[in-house]
Amino acid sequence: MKLTESIKKDFNTMTWVLIPVAIAINVVIGQIVAILKLPVYLDSIGTVLVAAVAGPWAGALTGTLSNIIWGLAIDPNAFPWFPVALFIGFVAGWCAIGGLFKTWWKVVIAGFLIALTAAIVSTPIAVYLYGGITASGSSFITAYLLETGKGVVQAVFSTNFLVEPVDKIATALLAYAIIKGLSKRYLARFPRAENVS
Amino acid sequence: MAIVNLQDVTYKYPLTEEPAIRNIHLQVEEGEFVAIVGPNGAGKSTLCYTLSGFIPHFFKGELNGTVEIAGVETQKSSLDEWVLNVGLAFQNPFNQISGSKFTVYEEIAFGLENIGVPRGEMKARVEAAMAMTAISDLADRSPYSLSGGQQQRVALTSILVMEPKVLVLDEPTSQMDPIGTREVFQVIKEMSARGMTVILVEHKIEWIAEFADRVIALHNGEILLEGTPGEVLTSPLLPERGFGISRYTSVARTASGQGLWPGDRRLPITLQEAVDGFARDRK
Amino acid sequence: MKDKLTFYIERESSLHRVNPLTKLVMVFAFIILAFFGPGFWLPSLLVVLGIIPLSFLGRVQREYFRTAGRLLLPVVGFLFLMQSVFHPDVGDSRVLLQVWVLNVTVEGVRFAYLTASRIFVMVSAFILFLLTTHPSELMSDLTRRGLSGTFAYVITATLQIIPQMQAKASTIIDAQRSRGLDTDGSFRKRVGALLPLTGPLVFGSLVEVEERAIAIEARAFTSKLEKTSLREIPDTKLDKAARWFFLLLIVLAFGSKLWPS
Repeated sequence: MKLTESIKKDFNTMTWVLIPVAIAINVVIGQIVAILKLPVYLDSIGTVLVAAVAGPWAGALTGTLSNIIWGLAIDPNAFPWFPVALFIGFVAGWCAIGGLFKTWWKVVIAGFLIALTAAIVSTPIAVYLYGGITASGSSFITAYLLETGKGVVQAVFSTNFLVEPVDKIATALLAYAIIKGLSKRYLARFPRAENVS
Repeated sequence: MAIVNLQDVTYKYPLTEEPAIRNIHLQVEEGEFVAIVGPNGAGKSTLCYTLSGFIPHFFKGELNGTVEIAGVETQKSSLDEWVLNVGLAFQNPFNQISGSKFTVYEEIAFGLENIGVPRGEMKARVEAAMAMTAISDLADRSPYSLSGGQQQRVALTSILVMEPKVLVLDEPTSQMDPIGTREVFQVIKEMSARGMTVILVEHKIEWIAEFADRVIALHNGEILLEGTPGEVLTSPLLPERGFGISRYTSVARTASGQGLWPGDRRLPITLQEAVDGFARDRK
Repeated sequence: MKDKLTFYIERESSLHRVNPLTKLVMVFAFIILAFFGPGFWLPSLLVVLGIIPLSFLGRVQREYFRTAGRLLLPVVGFLFLMQSVFHPDVGDSRVLLQVWVLNVTVEGVRFAYLTASRIFVMVSAFILFLLTTHPSELMSDLTRRGLSGTFAYVITATLQIIPQMQAKASTIIDAQRSRGLDTDGSFRKRVGALLPLTGPLVFGSLVEVEERAIAIEARAFTSKLEKTSLREIPDTKLDKAARWFFLLLIVLAFGSKLWPS
């Protein structure tokens, strides 16, 4: 399939209306998780959901806009991390096309691939924008690794790789649980319903 | 010539076995006010979606027969063109708000922006439409801060401002209290009085009796009865088939069984008709 | 959780009247200058001589300082401390003081200050922009310049839906608390609380998607006709000139990086 066709396929009116809801799901679940003081973020469930039912391009757009809106409305510190969110949506979408959103154990694999992507993409941002130490709690791990003599890129990537998988596998599984809770009739209105049925 | 013309229309949703509507023949004249009644699952909403082009363009599925409005056939048109001729409003006012606008004024302009109406004309049309539905005082409010009745009037105004030839309304007052219902019906009455063709699904029988030129009773996806409100809404077939009927009709029918309402007089639908009818016998 | 999801402060000021795109280009010019421009003190100068005076011009200085303080001081402070302490010791730099096994070096403090001041420019330039620009205005202006209308829909719809869902979430959290939910309880209990808190919210909002899609299609959302905009957004010759000026600054900032020194 040609690139423009592949992009166009992701977007119908259902996708356009779903994206704001998905972003709101990201934000609100992210905040509830923070209230419950759970050791995860779970702030990309909506992104993964869109990626699964509408496709990688819609997923990438949802992730990007999620960060932009988070930056516009809640905390401008979120802006520079938008490429991470973009790739989470993009990779989740290709995982779904590859059939990884059909049974729960395959979803675990998808979660792991998404985590790996997030770890890779966030490393250069943390290194070049923040000099390796960002404003998140996991920076203490990075700092420790730096002290043991590891290079800054290696230290940041190792930290990300330790933190991401639990969060992203839980994210993917929750997105899958939501999809399983929706009716076939409803899911059929989305452009890539076949990825999840 | 009829503005709405349905010939032998049968439709099946995707992933279903049974058609939701079948063998529907329906002609509606320009300016006519047609009401549709029927129990749950009769196919009322399906008929509305068929008239407004969402069947087949949005819901896909299998549509047979011809659906023609203003001389255009739905299968040969696209949804974005179709909606310029047929406006649709439905039950839940909250879900009809575009969600992307910060004030009622902007909300009503949304459709006109989409079809490229120049700014000056847009403002004139928005203001005229708001005056007509008596919501001018809400112009600067957020659409989310309104009551259900106000939201539904905003939703109706948002459709009316686009000046469709036919207005399709799917139970627009079902979530309204009596005050909201009255507000919404005032708007519908005004539209009809201005010559707009109105097709209304409604279960508040008394209101239909007051406004509709013609009533269609839908049952199991088929047209069961068709005629004036007086004929259809008092038919003994309706309660037998699970239709909701006016309480005044049902009281008078009981009275008629006991000889308290003459058998040759049409049963009442509204409170006023019942009062008049019973009062006549006391004289 | 607030009921309004924008920073925007409605006020009469010359900064408010500047075209949204001009302000956006200015924000990017500030950020790129801060990260790529020459000189250790440039980011600090941008704040003191650029962003802060502009906040007075926009008559939003009080809101600017309050928002920047709330959002930036914790982050920038944390960054500064961590990086001063943990900056890799290159060996030949002067040690300022010793904390436990860690050396705080002049090099480390300089690096920490530069990073912190850059982040400060990036975030506070956006704060200033958001305080003086209504999201609808930005979107209308960008749509007029060729941004797709569906895209603009997504942004403004999201800004409206989030506070709605936050309000619903608060209601659900309060209801669950009165039924004995303890947000400080054991880990297992808190994990167990996640589904009853989020489930109804998520499914409720997803079900609305279908009807809303129908409603906006009924209002010609997918029309192929060229769209117009209700809002008239000023775009003066001065705006255009200012945009070219900021673009030039951006080019110069990148240029200074490439220039062999």
